[in-house]
Amino acid sequence: MSEAILYHGEPNGPSLSVLAALEESGLDIECRAIDLAAGERHGLPGVTDSMAMDYAVEGEGPVLVIDGEAMSEAVFIAQYFDEAAGGCGLQPADPYARWQMLMWCRQATERLSPAAAYLGLHASTAGDAPLDTMASEDLRERWTDWQQRRFDEAKLADSRAKVAQFAQRIEDQLDDGREWLMGSFSIADLETFAWIRSMRHLEAEAFSGKGALDAWMGRVESRPSVQAALARSTTGEPERAFAPGPEINRWG
Amino acid sequence: MGEITLYHWEPNANSGKPMLALEEKGVAYASHYINMLQFDQHQPEYLAVNPQGTIPAMTHGDLVLTESTAIMEYVDEAFDGPALMPADPQDRWRVRWWMKFMDQWLGPSFSMIGWCTFIGPSLASKTEEEREAMLARIPLPERRVAWRKAMFAEFSEAELAESRRRISKGVELLEEELGKRPFVASNAYSLADINIFNSTYMLPVGNADICSPELTPNIWRWLREVYQRPAVQRTWAKGTGRFTDRFTAVMRDFA
Ligand SMILES: N[C@@H](CCC(=O)N[C@@H](CS)C(=O)NCC(=O)O)C(=O)O
Repeated sequence: MSEAILYHGEPNGPSLSVLAALEESGLDIECRAIDLAAGERHGLPGVTDSMAMDYAVEGEGPVLVIDGEAMSEAVFIAQYFDEAAGGCGLQPADPYARWQMLMWCRQATERLSPAAAYLGLHASTAGDAPLDTMASEDLRERWTDWQQRRFDEAKLADSRAKVAQFAQRIEDQLDDGREWLMGSFSIADLETFAWIRSMRHLEAEAFSGKGALDAWMGRVESRPSVQAALARSTTGEPERAFAPGPEINRWG
Repeated sequence: MGEITLYHWEPNANSGKPMLALEEKGVAYASHYINMLQFDQHQPEYLAVNPQGTIPAMTHGDLVLTESTAIMEYVDEAFDGPALMPADPQDRWRVRWWMKFMDQWLGPSFSMIGWCTFIGPSLASKTEEEREAMLARIPLPERRVAWRKAMFAEFSEAELAESRRRISKGVELLEEELGKRPFVASNAYSLADINIFNSTYMLPVGNADICSPELTPNIWRWLREVYQRPAVQRTWAKGTGRFTDRFTAVMRDFA
């Protein structure tokens, strides 16, 4: 493979899912830790095509740089790893099962991650990242809101409801005794786990009485790939590391 | 493995995506037209297929599929015919990136402006009670809010301005991207082109101030090329022409 470097933040949210997916794939790609909360993603060296980094819908997530092209969006980077490795089992082969996995991931990235990111920002102190390095106006606005601690009560309530709904959705999905969300292990497990993990301490109530969710979280967390990803934490508390994520749906 | 039925509106935006993907693959399907302006998508008959009440939806034998982009990916994988995804993993990533950028960032801004300037006013003849009754049948709460704003002209100036900003920015980025290679995400026609084309072919009609042969030569070259594909022509012949006739007229003027 050509020159590839994965820039990632603390193993939480999208950085956690992508680091674990890389481990699962067995690809030999250099990983470099950056501080997403300090805006370090916006000045990466060696980037000749920054569009996907600048305008990622995901907001502050990991960036895979290959031959100067910055690649973003955790689910798609995980798919890339799976496919570049010739299929490492992170995606089902059957087209309908694949559709189900993509639909699940889309629900996770559209409903769970914006909510978790918003609650995470609310619970953490903003880094004083230089905003003038950021190309996207709407991302800059999410940074400004965080730095000036402008939080909307309605959005906080909506986010709490969405986290609780998603926890319930996972519990329901596992209701038939299956081991993994889609039956066999997939990107859906990594992406969902990576975002819901940090909500356990922020939204504890959403988890109470959910035995299947709890057991599934234990299974995902104990996978060697996830353990290796978590071991990359430099703070020892990756579940408390946040940076502006995807925006909360501004349209139905 | 069973019959295919597609529930769709005009060959435009989300409905146009699976229509065009099926046509490119050469897959025959039964067409079930949903008249969005009469709110067929919120009638019990359709909600039995897709409880979310959004179009399109597709059934394949016993399977029900929703979400236009995900349906296209299924169509490409499940049927024979020309591949609509590139083979190279980095190109595949780029196809997905652009589809998400359209579906979640740029597309919603097109929708907001479209609903505000075209769909909302088209319902002006309905009484307030009729409109309230239409709203009450919408299953998705977020959608109900959006439709209410469209029906009663309640979009704020700030949110409309933000949508206009995103449309200009999105067009600028697309122009830049199409300067890098012949098609949106790879050197060959792919699902990304189908996705983006369905939401941008109306730009020369409705947004000539930001999309024209002079301002956006790369987009223009690409629009013409995609428009000339036999599958696009066949798909457009299946619609009423309410959008596509206007695009065709613009293209004729520049021929
Ligand atoms: N994300 C969905 C969105 C589908 C969607 O919103 N479709 C529009 C038509 S382009 C619709 O159903 N609008 C009617 C309504 O919301 O009532 C997809 O891509 O299929």
